[in-house]
Amino acid sequence: MKVVTGVVGNDIHVVANRLIDISLEERGFEVFNLGVNTYLEEFMDAVIETDADVLLISSLNGEAEGWCRDLQILKSQYDFKDVTFMIGGNLGVGEMNPELLVPKFQKYGFDLVFHQVDLNEGLDRLEEFLEAR
Amino acid sequence: MSKLFIDIGSTYFKVAQNGKIDQYFRDFNKNIFDDLNSKCADLVSQYAKEDIFICSSANGGLSTLIIGLTNSFSLKYAINTAFNSGINIIDTVLYPKIEGESVPVELIDVVIVVGGIDSVKKVFDEKLLTYLEKVNYQNIVYVGSTKNAAFLEENLKNIVVLENIISNKLKIQEEALKEYLTDLYQADIVGKEDIKQLYEITSNQIFSTPYIVNRALPKIHERLDVADPFIVVDIGGATTDIHYSRDLVNDNILTENGYDRLVFKKLGVFKSRESLVHTAKNNEFVFELLEHLNVTENILEEQSEAATRVLMQLAIFLVLYKVSKHHGDYVELNLDILNSIVLTGGITKVLTQDDVDDIILFFYRKILHFHHAPTILLDSDYEIWTYGIKE
Repeated sequence: MKVVTGVVGNDIHVVANRLIDISLEERGFEVFNLGVNTYLEEFMDAVIETDADVLLISSLNGEAEGWCRDLQILKSQYDFKDVTFMIGGNLGVGEMNPELLVPKFQKYGFDLVFHQVDLNEGLDRLEEFLEAR
Repeated sequence: MSKLFIDIGSTYFKVAQNGKIDQYFRDFNKNIFDDLNSKCADLVSQYAKEDIFICSSANGGLSTLIIGLTNSFSLKYAINTAFNSGINIIDTVLYPKIEGESVPVELIDVVIVVGGIDSVKKVFDEKLLTYLEKVNYQNIVYVGSTKNAAFLEENLKNIVVLENIISNKLKIQEEALKEYLTDLYQADIVGKEDIKQLYEITSNQIFSTPYIVNRALPKIHERLDVADPFIVVDIGGATTDIHYSRDLVNDNILTENGYDRLVFKKLGVFKSRESLVHTAKNNEFVFELLEHLNVTENILEEQSEAATRVLMQLAIFLVLYKVSKHHGDYVELNLDILNSIVLTGGITKVLTQDDVDDIILFFYRKILHFHHAPTILLDSDYEIWTYGIKE
């Protein structure tokens, strides 16, 4: 299965990005890593060019909240019905309520949302989701 | 025996031998071959055909239509490759929106179709064929997923299929398309009466000048005191080109020689003077710039040496503005980290070092809020092209 991954927005957490890349490859995924500082449009375009099964966006500085708001609009412009949209990392900024984050990102259009969840646990859940699908 | 290098520009011929460069203003009442002969017949006769190398930007270049699957990869990679191959005129169509796209009315020299890494199937379908039926084109090349090649070959008789420009890691691989486009440029030259006569004096391939300049950039440090990252701004009579180090761009392209090219078709000071003036009048900083130069807006309508000088200064300002972070429509260069600016082309015949320093410092102060500007070099003898032609 093909996974497009990278870090969204003005976020340069390259170590986490590499760990996700390595972990996905270890699990047998074909990985297209766009690296850090990636715009949402580039993620979507990479999914189209590779015909990927999964888009896995990571964010560590909490900027994803702003950068991913247009996901539904971009999803409506192309047929992404077979693609799983996943986001994980540190998704909130400042004194936010963590319980509100997951529904917020689901409303943005993500199928799987992991806020401050261990990487391997998140990838286990991704595999379960894909299997069930 | 040394070699003779000739560059045919839209305004000048440049002839280089043994490191010495002579320039001749074009006589537009004669065709290029006759004009060259009238000025340099004695010199040309001293060289064998295999020792004469010619590049040209005088035939206008190829018109290109690129149909790509996405903006961030297919179209971006193909546009980048086309510019680096010396192509000036590029239209694009985003394939998912092709049904709503207008069809170019003019004849297209080459259509480039691109999309998908090699494992992706069914990228293109009947929609592409329906659109192409309405396009008047001479050549068509496919540089997308290999899984789609058979469909296109079955339905588009003259299509040329080359290596995918998108690698299986989503990186650019431009060599095959670049070679195809530069060969096509040569074929175009051969077909153009005005230039094909030049093959009477050379047995070497005639390349486009922008392609040659792009090829020269990795060698520029051997001759000029240039620090990385740098840009070369070529302001000529018809177009303005910027060649830039890829270190200045934050994106996903990594090309073979590390330098890319951008073309501004409407910022030339002679053939596209009207559009240059129009662009200038619509720029919010230009009136302040004119005041800085101690001239009024009226100078833009004048036909004088002073007016040409001001127009060239405006061209420098506008081209830097268009690639700065204040202008989103073009490639954005990180001008904050730029160390050198090299100016070449017809502009170096008109502006002095002081004129150029003044305008670039104005740009850096006004737009980027810097107190200093990068080092500025004038390629007054216009010799950069000779570095690229020597292979």
